[in-house]
Amino acid sequence: MRSDEVFTNLIREHQALLFKVTSIYTDNKLDQEDLFQEIVYQLWKYFDSFRNESKISTWMYRVAMNTAITHLKRTKKRHSAIPIVDAVLSVSESKDETYEERLRLLYRYLQLLNPLDKGLMFLLLEGKSYKEIAQITGLGASNVGTRISRIKKKLKINMTKS
Amino acid sequence: MELEELQSAWTQLSNELKHQKKLTDEIIFNMTKESYRNKFRTLLNFESFGALICFAYAIFIILNFTKLDTWYFVVCGFLALLFSIALPTLGLKFIFDIQNLDILNGNFKQNILNYTRAKNNLLRLQQAVIASGFAIFFLMIVLNSKILSGKDIFLAEFKASNWIGLLIGLTFMAFFCRWGYRKYKKITTAAEAVLRELE
Repeated sequence: MRSDEVFTNLIREHQALLFKVTSIYTDNKLDQEDLFQEIVYQLWKYFDSFRNESKISTWMYRVAMNTAITHLKRTKKRHSAIPIVDAVLSVSESKDETYEERLRLLYRYLQLLNPLDKGLMFLLLEGKSYKEIAQITGLGASNVGTRISRIKKKLKINMTKS
Repeated sequence: MELEELQSAWTQLSNELKHQKKLTDEIIFNMTKESYRNKFRTLLNFESFGALICFAYAIFIILNFTKLDTWYFVVCGFLALLFSIALPTLGLKFIFDIQNLDILNGNFKQNILNYTRAKNNLLRLQQAVIASGFAIFFLMIVLNSKILSGKDIFLAEFKASNWIGLLIGLTFMAFFCRWGYRKYKKITTAAEAVLRELE
């Protein structure tokens, strides 16, 4: 398979991952669209340097999250963004109101965290182990554990307040 | 609401995303094209253009430095050179710092710290430029009138229309500087709060 074909398949296979990263690091759809494109661009730029030393998803998480934290918010003037199909960048329109409410609250609580804590919480929600989180973020595993228990406390306090 | 409930909402979201419409090859390829890239490039172009104008002004001052024949014109000339060389150079440096973060292998926390520091430095610099706009405006009037028409503005007799023009200009600059300074102060305070929390 040609490398560009491998790349497009990879993006399609992991587009949910990209969607989730962009949804927690932006607060509106236009910014999310911008960030989504920037991440795809960075993945493409570094694609040839991926050497199978880690899982491809670990590598994608790392590039996506590092790109997200350095992403500038959209200025008022609209630039040449590619309209990504609506369905890809829309949060589900489920009829389950409890789920919708939980999701809304989840995003609200995540927005209250600083960029580092937000990233760690995101990876925890993704079901990653401390070891995997350490691999993706470059932090020590014990540091990850300490930080995550602090974030959980912080979240609990916020949940109790609201 | 409990943490477990947040986790279950996230899991449900992940499951629903599996049924998303898939991106086409064309859309993905368009996203990999340099021409679609975003704001840092725009910001860099904007800053580079501003820096070019400043450097051109610095060259103009240097070429005409011999016309600055009193001590106060020399002081104004040096101050203008300082503003027009040091400030844009620093601005470009901070943008390069932001652009050169190691996205591929960089430590996530270190990247956040470096990015926030560089962004904060850039914002503080822009804040300083806006706050000193008043002084820059004054220096430009003094130096341009001396270099272009040989006038010593400190000794010149002003007509009423000159006074009105100067007053309008200075009032506008005063409001602009105050507005800009306050606007940047809000953003830099937020960035500093993030830095404090991370360090």
